[in-house]
Amino acid sequence: MAAHVLRLRFALLLGAVRGERRIRTLVAFAAIVAITVAVCLAVLSLDSAPVPVARAVTVLGGAALLVGFLVGPVLVGAVDQLDPRRFAVFGVDERQMPWVLALASLVSVPSLALLAVYISVCVVAISAGAPWALAVLLTIVSVLTTALTSRIGMAINALLLPERRSRELTALFALALIVIAFPVAVFFGSLRWDGLVPDSLAVLTTAIGYSPFGAAPAFLFSVAAGEAGAAWVSGIVAFLTLALLWLAWTWVVRRLLTTTERPVAARERTGLGWFGLLPSNAFGAIAARSLVYWLRDRRYIMNIIVVPVAGVLTVLPLIVAGVPIEIAALVPVPVMALFFGWLPHNDVAYDSTALWTHVASGVRGLPDRLGRLVPVLLVAVPVLAIAVPLSLLLIGDWSLLLPLGGLAASLLFSALGVSSVLSVVAPYAVSRPGDSPFQQPQRPTSRGTYGPAAAFLGAIVFSAPTIWLFAATIIEGSAYAPATFWVGILAGLLVLVVGAVVGGRIFERSGERLMEFVETA
Amino acid sequence: MTASPDDRTAQVDETETATNKTSAKRAPARKQSSGAATPEETTTAGSAAKKTAPRTAAKPATAKKTAAARKPTAKQASGASRAASGTATAAKAAAEKAAPATDVVVEPLNRALAENSGAKTSASSAAPRSAAAARTAAAKNSAARSTAPKSASTARSTAKPAAKSTAAKTTAAKTTAAKTAAPRTTPAKTTASSAAAKTAAAKSAAAKAAATKAAAAKSAARSTTAKTTAAKAAAAKAAATKAAKAAAAKEAKAKAAAAEPVEPEAVAVEAEAASVETAPETPVIESTSQIETQSGTEIEPAVESATVVEPATVVEPAAAAESEPAAEAEPDSAAPVLVEPPSEVETAPEVELEVVEVVEAVMDSDDAASGAIRPDDGASAGEAIRIRGLVKHFGDNRAVDGIDLTVPAGSFYGVVGPNGAGKTTTLSIVAGLLRADAGSVVICGIDQASDPQAAKRVMGVLPDRLRTFDRLTGRQLLYYYGLLRGLTADVIEKRAADLARAFDLGDALSRVVSDYSAGMTKKIMLAGAMIHSPRVLVLDEPFESVDPVSSAVILDILRAYVSHGGTVILSSHGMDLVERVCSRVAIIVGGEVLAEGTIDEVRAGQTLEARFVELAGSSGEVEGLEWLHTFSD
Repeated sequence: MAAHVLRLRFALLLGAVRGERRIRTLVAFAAIVAITVAVCLAVLSLDSAPVPVARAVTVLGGAALLVGFLVGPVLVGAVDQLDPRRFAVFGVDERQMPWVLALASLVSVPSLALLAVYISVCVVAISAGAPWALAVLLTIVSVLTTALTSRIGMAINALLLPERRSRELTALFALALIVIAFPVAVFFGSLRWDGLVPDSLAVLTTAIGYSPFGAAPAFLFSVAAGEAGAAWVSGIVAFLTLALLWLAWTWVVRRLLTTTERPVAARERTGLGWFGLLPSNAFGAIAARSLVYWLRDRRYIMNIIVVPVAGVLTVLPLIVAGVPIEIAALVPVPVMALFFGWLPHNDVAYDSTALWTHVASGVRGLPDRLGRLVPVLLVAVPVLAIAVPLSLLLIGDWSLLLPLGGLAASLLFSALGVSSVLSVVAPYAVSRPGDSPFQQPQRPTSRGTYGPAAAFLGAIVFSAPTIWLFAATIIEGSAYAPATFWVGILAGLLVLVVGAVVGGRIFERSGERLMEFVETA
Repeated sequence: MTASPDDRTAQVDETETATNKTSAKRAPARKQSSGAATPEETTTAGSAAKKTAPRTAAKPATAKKTAAARKPTAKQASGASRAASGTATAAKAAAEKAAPATDVVVEPLNRALAENSGAKTSASSAAPRSAAAARTAAAKNSAARSTAPKSASTARSTAKPAAKSTAAKTTAAKTTAAKTAAPRTTPAKTTASSAAAKTAAAKSAAAKAAATKAAAAKSAARSTTAKTTAAKAAAAKAAATKAAKAAAAKEAKAKAAAAEPVEPEAVAVEAEAASVETAPETPVIESTSQIETQSGTEIEPAVESATVVEPATVVEPAAAAESEPAAEAEPDSAAPVLVEPPSEVETAPEVELEVVEVVEAVMDSDDAASGAIRPDDGASAGEAIRIRGLVKHFGDNRAVDGIDLTVPAGSFYGVVGPNGAGKTTTLSIVAGLLRADAGSVVICGIDQASDPQAAKRVMGVLPDRLRTFDRLTGRQLLYYYGLLRGLTADVIEKRAADLARAFDLGDALSRVVSDYSAGMTKKIMLAGAMIHSPRVLVLDEPFESVDPVSSAVILDILRAYVSHGGTVILSSHGMDLVERVCSRVAIIVGGEVLAEGTIDEVRAGQTLEARFVELAGSSGEVEGLEWLHTFSD
């Protein structure tokens, strides 16, 4: 049985480089090799580092790796080549399958990469002073633990989520990942080590070292450092983790081989894209339609691209002028937040005459206003989540994280609220659907439009308290930091809600006026 | 036979004064016409030319049944003639109600009344009087087709002098017979209906049976009853004054009540209508004064029948009640009725259908007599769209200039007109996409100005020349339409699949709408307009650039929808399509409604296209352009 499965595994590996996707597969393989080499070199460079540093790095890195293997398949939607369910029709012995499959899973490119990395860790540990027998043993334990974790992650994906997943859902997961993981990574990378483990990390390392996630590497370096007690605890936890994982894996395999899900009426509606993901009401419909347009219509894409670029470009003249980078780096985030909030101030005009659908169906104003804000938020939040840590990296003062976040939130939300009102009160002509975004429309009247300026200024006015508090934080210290954060978020949300409600009421009552506008613009 | 637009107002004035002035005329006319009317009615009932008289005659018979439905026309007609000839309008209303079967061209009726000549004559005599009223009635978009022939004949035969308004009313009543009866005109209707009943009972009976509408029947019955009672009571009165009419109307009402329980709706109306028809018109005349506006159309048949039915006694009670409105509608008819009770009574027995109308007329006359002329009480019962006095200016351009339309529920309504006539503007206002400068729009009884959300909920809209969200796929677009209307996702899924199959869009649903052809875009927008199964569909040029196969499919779907009670109002340039498909049509030129009514009424014997060209005013020979023939190359 094992021989069959292994042969199958080899055949699958070879088959990956055949066929249409050959180039892509080979490129991915090369990328993995490169990353592995880089990581191994980085680990080997720890050789010269003091033991606590090496322990901190390996423990945290190993924990991150395990978490990644556990939830990665769910996020990415990877399909398991050796899914236990595929063997169900062959009448296999379900007592043998767990270890056969585990063995076969070791024969794969990621597993080999893992092996290389863990061997490097082992080498470093031995050179740091750990006895080689124990080091090799615990390295094997680590490898097996990681392999089983990845198998279980794939099985969870198979059990929980449907097979064919829409691209949009995957995109949402990826965005969530970026929003959460990126700042954390940047933060850790920015800490100054100088041969000493920062105090915050030391506590974290110890805690993770006793948990299943980082027990094996912790044991290695605890032994090397000579801390017997910590080493014993970590070692026992590591073995227990392996045993528990094995039991879990066995149970999962047995379950997948012997049960099938009750066939549920296909809830997954194909071909709906965003409409299938968002709630089935007016708000969801308008949000989905806005998303489709924001991500596909040239006129909107131009808006999205311009804002981050503008935000970054504003810094350059300041630097050239001699403003210190610590201050100049404070500028892009508020500017980007303000412009993102300002973007939907003319959303109604972009719909052009297709607005009749909203007017003739009598849709309520509040879902309409909120639905139109969804795409902006979906783009703005990840961009700001990347920009804030980068700015703080340049500034060097991580205590400004909360105030900067509060300021960005205040500007973004209040600008969105003011835009919700102005897009029904003062719309102006824009390029029609299908036109180039740079094509100026013909404006029948020479009346000046106050919409854009009013949105801009209104957002700044409503964020005035937050701006004042932020300045106070910078000048006088971090006493005002929490206040800035909370004031910013609450004020911004308040203006957003009020603006959406008011804009919705105006929209309901002035449907005909807007129709006349879009028909003549 | 087609009257020019100017004649309408003239007719209205005419009608108003006609009843008074021509009552004397009517008496002799009626005498002569009544004799001739009956055969004429039967013979000419079907012909458009003589339609007025036979229609008026037929109308009462049918008007009773469908009086309620024709109320608006009756009302309008009665309103016109109310001032002077309540009975006339009543007769007209009754006539309209009475004759569901035949389409009434108002003008012939008017002409017939006016001419007062023998040949087609009863119609012609009734023509002048009824012309004005008829025009008003026709303009009011009454649906009393069936009442037309009957009321026409009835009017001709029975009440020429008063019949002018009566005839008009009958015509109108015929067109709007199906609509709720106009109580005011019930007296006229009663008289007309009695007359019509006698003469064209057979024809109208069949027609009316088919087109019985509660309100129409009610008003017709009422008017008939009023008329009969009025006729009886005021047989001796010469010129009916409003007061007299009112009194007679009350009397008629009492009689109607006594005779039968006056039921607002059609079923009971029949019996009453029959009784009403027998009642003399005189009471009708008296009661018409108050009620004529309402039952204008209905009154015509009622009037005619009433006049015809006078000798019949059964109808008296119902007629009494109806006579009030009828009386108002046809003061003139009452007078002649008085003069010629026997002729009028003759038609009474025949008319089952008219009884219905009479009863309704009775009801209407009751209301009218009570003093409150309910302007739109019948509106909600059977009208899908009711437009009054719509005005829209774009700067100096008067795009819509005082349009009055009534679209009865369950009808296939066509709006045609030359380019720039205001059709799209009108439909946009109805759909809530444009705000009118003046006027009111009531959709299924919901006033658009006071409750726009509810009005939009019962409508499905397909506008013209407006984009749609074409970056979505077809399926996503249908989801969008459905979710905005508040449907749940699984309901939308099922309905979208059905619609795609019906419109032959199956595999195209996965493609982006901007990749569709023009016809496919129209089809998917039409599907989106129907997905929430509204009561009223407002379609602006739905067949533009749609291939014939799809057009046929769409027409089948819309016909089934209409036959199950839905209403479709569409605008189109394809005259043959409109002629084939629509049940009623309105011709709008320069922002005004020039002709309105059933297809047969409007086309008046020609094809619809010819009539349209005639109304829209072709420029005749194209002169100049000789240089085009000298190829300058």
